[in-house]
Amino acid sequence: MYLRCSGNRFNQNATDLLCKEGASFRFQLLRLKMEGEGGCIGNPSSANMSQQLPLLAETHKLVAEGERDSVFESLEDTHTETMGLSAINEQKGGTQVVNPRPESTTVCLTDSETKLCGYLHKQGGPLKAWKFRWFTYDEKKCQLFYYRTAQDVNPLGKVELRNATFSYPLQGEEGTFHIQTPERTFILKAANRDAKMYWLQQLQLRRWQHRELLCSDSSLPMPEQHTQNGRQYLDTCPANFLPVVKIPSGLVGVEAANVPVQTNPLNVSIKHPLIEIQNSVHSFLLRRPSAEVGRSVFWVESSATQADTPKTNFSQSSNSEDSFVQTLSPSSVLPPDLECERPCENLPARGLSLMLPNGKYKKANSATFPFDRKEANTIERLSHFKQENLTLAMEVQAQKELVWLLHKALEAAQLEKRACAQYLAAENEQERLELLRHDARCTADLRERLEQLRHENEALKRSLEERDAHVKELQDSLKLLMEKNHAKQEVIVKLSEQVSTCMADPKRAVSFERISAEGLRQLVQEMDNLKDDMEAYKTQNKFLNSEIYQLTRLWQNSSEQEKSLMVKCAYLEANNCQMESRYLVVLRKLQENKELPAEQRVVIKNLIDEALQADKRDAIRFDSFRDYDEYGFKIIPDYEMEDMKLLAKIQALEIRSHNLLQQETGDRSLLARWTQFLGGRSPDDLSSSEELKNLVRAGIPRQYRASVWCWMVRARTHTLRQRHPDLFQKLCKKSQATPHPAARQIQLDLHRTLTTNQCFSSPSSPMVQQLQRVLLAFSWQNPAVGYCQGLNRLAAIALLVLQSEEEAFWCLVAIVQFLMPKDYYTKTLLGSQADQRVFKDFMAEKLPRLLAHLEEHGVDVSLVTFNWFLVLFVESLPSDILLKVWDAFLYEGTKVIFRYALAIFKYKEDDILKIHDNVEIYQYLRLFTKTVTDGRKLMSIAFLDLNPFRMKHVKNRRAVHMQRLQAELNELEKLQNEYSSENNQRKDNVFDLIPSEDDDDA
Amino acid sequence: MAIRELKVCLLGDTGVGKSSIVCRFVQDHFDHNISPTIGASFLTKTVPCGNELHKFLIWDTAGQERFHSLAPMYYRGSAAAVIVYDITKLDSFQTLKKWVKELKEHGPEDIVVAIAGNKNDLGDIREVPTKDAKEFAESIAAIFIETSARNAVNVEELFQSISRQIPPLENTDVDSNESFKITRQPPPSARRCC
Repeated sequence: MYLRCSGNRFNQNATDLLCKEGASFRFQLLRLKMEGEGGCIGNPSSANMSQQLPLLAETHKLVAEGERDSVFESLEDTHTETMGLSAINEQKGGTQVVNPRPESTTVCLTDSETKLCGYLHKQGGPLKAWKFRWFTYDEKKCQLFYYRTAQDVNPLGKVELRNATFSYPLQGEEGTFHIQTPERTFILKAANRDAKMYWLQQLQLRRWQHRELLCSDSSLPMPEQHTQNGRQYLDTCPANFLPVVKIPSGLVGVEAANVPVQTNPLNVSIKHPLIEIQNSVHSFLLRRPSAEVGRSVFWVESSATQADTPKTNFSQSSNSEDSFVQTLSPSSVLPPDLECERPCENLPARGLSLMLPNGKYKKANSATFPFDRKEANTIERLSHFKQENLTLAMEVQAQKELVWLLHKALEAAQLEKRACAQYLAAENEQERLELLRHDARCTADLRERLEQLRHENEALKRSLEERDAHVKELQDSLKLLMEKNHAKQEVIVKLSEQVSTCMADPKRAVSFERISAEGLRQLVQEMDNLKDDMEAYKTQNKFLNSEIYQLTRLWQNSSEQEKSLMVKCAYLEANNCQMESRYLVVLRKLQENKELPAEQRVVIKNLIDEALQADKRDAIRFDSFRDYDEYGFKIIPDYEMEDMKLLAKIQALEIRSHNLLQQETGDRSLLARWTQFLGGRSPDDLSSSEELKNLVRAGIPRQYRASVWCWMVRARTHTLRQRHPDLFQKLCKKSQATPHPAARQIQLDLHRTLTTNQCFSSPSSPMVQQLQRVLLAFSWQNPAVGYCQGLNRLAAIALLVLQSEEEAFWCLVAIVQFLMPKDYYTKTLLGSQADQRVFKDFMAEKLPRLLAHLEEHGVDVSLVTFNWFLVLFVESLPSDILLKVWDAFLYEGTKVIFRYALAIFKYKEDDILKIHDNVEIYQYLRLFTKTVTDGRKLMSIAFLDLNPFRMKHVKNRRAVHMQRLQAELNELEKLQNEYSSENNQRKDNVFDLIPSEDDDDA
Repeated sequence: MAIRELKVCLLGDTGVGKSSIVCRFVQDHFDHNISPTIGASFLTKTVPCGNELHKFLIWDTAGQERFHSLAPMYYRGSAAAVIVYDITKLDSFQTLKKWVKELKEHGPEDIVVAIAGNKNDLGDIREVPTKDAKEFAESIAAIFIETSARNAVNVEELFQSISRQIPPLENTDVDSNESFKITRQPPPSARRCC
């Protein structure tokens, strides 16, 4: 606001002037004005500025030559306004000062950064030599560019600050600090320690601000604690471990460019000869006109950067703009060190520059030179006068002394004159003689007195000597006493130290006595050194703390951002998956629709092929996500079935979308509930309760699963374990010595167990060996069962979760001997078969409609459900749901299998009811367990919808069916025996019969 | 073309390659470490045969002996049974004989029996001579074929020969529910290959 105002005023003045000079200048000025008012921000036309500016400066020069006085006046007006603080203070009543509006205050808050630049030593090259380089920070890119000199156009290189960390070594030259980027480490050296700290803090700040900028640019959800303002952050943030270092004057900032560049021939970049040449040519070209107009070095630098990098130039100029605004608003919120120091420093450097409406600098030296000269003259004259004054005063002093001397001489002369007069006045000889005699007497008298005085003097001298001797004596004795005193003091100090050390460490008291005073002094010195070191370390520590803090904050931001992006991504991907699966379902429906004309069917076929092909391409994307879960299970099972590919794909998409959505919400709250429940208790020392039961039903979080399973297994096998503490080891030995007949079958199945699981996929994997030992041990533990196919899967799951052979063995024992009913895995699988009948009863009770439907189409569910029960859904349900089923099963028992088996059917009831073909139903049932994606829905069906579900009920039915089965089995055996005996008799007949069919053919 | 559904069950000792044969036939895929079948698994494949389409409804059963008691569920109503043995394991051939016996005793009367000697690719460690197996097959009038699910040898042929053994359906009798109830009389056309 203020700038605009003053700019306009300047334009006014300049235009007035130009009226006299002609139209050609007006054109230039108009162009300038246009650019000043139209945004010069990022305007490509601002690149032309460097060419126009000298032109205008020349204009003024011409004008100044012509009508100097009037021009001076008008330009000085402008000057005092733009000059800022000092001008205002001096000329309060003079020109009208426009106060900045609140907006401009906020502007200077947000863009309050001053330009970060300065000379630094940079270590580099093969010789590791220090090179003097000009460093400037580019906000837009968050990069630190370095040039050979401040006047150079092309940087020799840059330092990427976005991912940089800062540190400084304790040892080494003063002011050395490091910028570590992922690519390399830059070793830089500032002029002194303060400058170094300033650089480091500024770099940290810039890095932070850049990050903020990035965050505010992207419309991402950001954590609340973020402040938009880096400055504010620096003020409020506890990251300020160190006090903000003041800007070391003259060492950094644009004015540092004025530091005479070292003309060391070595200070040339060997690496970048081309840039060197470019720079030198450029600066040569620019220096020449500047010499003609008499511009400062700084101006050349700014115009040079203007010509080359308009963007950088803008930020630079806007910064300086701000610094001018700041000078007008001393009440701004900025820290005083930044607020005041900068402008004050800048002003002398920019004393000769002038603000243009477009915010660029403009030389006005021709106008302001006389002003300075006048002042300089008066100062000179004043000092001259002062000196003169001083000499005059001295002269006066000398004169006074002279006057006094003359007085004395006059007095003496007058006395002489009186005596002479007396003598001349005497009338006769006698009188004259008398006078002479009187004089002689006087003389003798005086001589006598003199003699007397001399004696006296001698006596006094003697006494003085005596006194001196006495004093000397006294001094000696004093010295002696002092020494004594000192010694005593030292003794006291030593003793008191000894006492203190004795108090602190009685053992060292003895050794302390031996330490001489010399040693003590050394120690004291050493201690001082150590204190110094400690101080240095403290400072470094503080800095590193702040660095760590900052980096942590940056990392936290990034990770939070990443997390939110992940959530978003997951959500979107889930949506996408759902859409895709719906699309595929539609395609599938269309494919099944046989009424469609051939052309459309071809189109649909193509679309399906395309979708399946896309799957292969997408495989890469899926891989990058996560293929296996924590237990090594494939998250998305793959199908090799040609005809099932479409279905499999649909299902994979559903699982995926479900997983993506559930991951964040469900699992975390569950973990929280468990953590709260355990409340610091060990998860393997629990007691059963309703609350625990409900928690277990919801699923045990992975973190606690192993320990909770351990506890559950222990609870089941407690008595057996107490009786045989090292049963597993014994059985292992036994199985090694005498293999169970089932060992061959175990061996055969080892490499066929959970082959899709990562931990079992390789035959050499340790898990496979563990599985073998567990199964072999179990074959001897329960010879009636020995080994039943399926137990390998149970043991494998136990191993995966419990991660211990012995615990897995006990888990197997718990399942087979304690949880499952009798004869579940024995030779006839009687228990399993009975359970299938029990299950059918429950189907009739809980899902009558579905059972009727299935029966109508001649579907026997037990063909499908048999293995669910036998292997507890392993390789049927997706792993995450499977383990939840196991959680509940291990806690509650077999009822859980019924609950879940029924729940699965209920979950898919509607789908099954839609299928009206025996084969299709079977085909559907073959894979439908894997399409169950919503574990929570399944759980709520299993444990809520199916209630009431009483164990007594299950037991009763089991007993009934066991009895019936046993009877059937007996009957069958009887029949078999009868048949076989009958058959043996008819054997020949039977075999005769079949070839006879062939005979027919022939 | 008429589609006929043919229920086929696979029987045989554990680890002889029943599931591998099915997998090769249905998906043309082979996996060294295919999981042992628990209970049974169900797959289908349709192949053309003459002027009919035969849709095989394949029940792949578990091999371990204790699962034998479940087998009737699967071979009940089957048009054909494939009994698989491992040519490198004499035991599996003995088990095969047991299965043949059981089928004779409890299986459908007109079931087509095919004997498949799997793992033909491991000829150098063969334990069951082709001759013995062939003789046995002939003695029970069963289809005999040596296969290799791994190398995709004779798997298609196995099912094709089963197809050929299935008598064509009379046009008046087209009913999907009854389709696999094969009539007793042997068709004259399906005899040539054996």
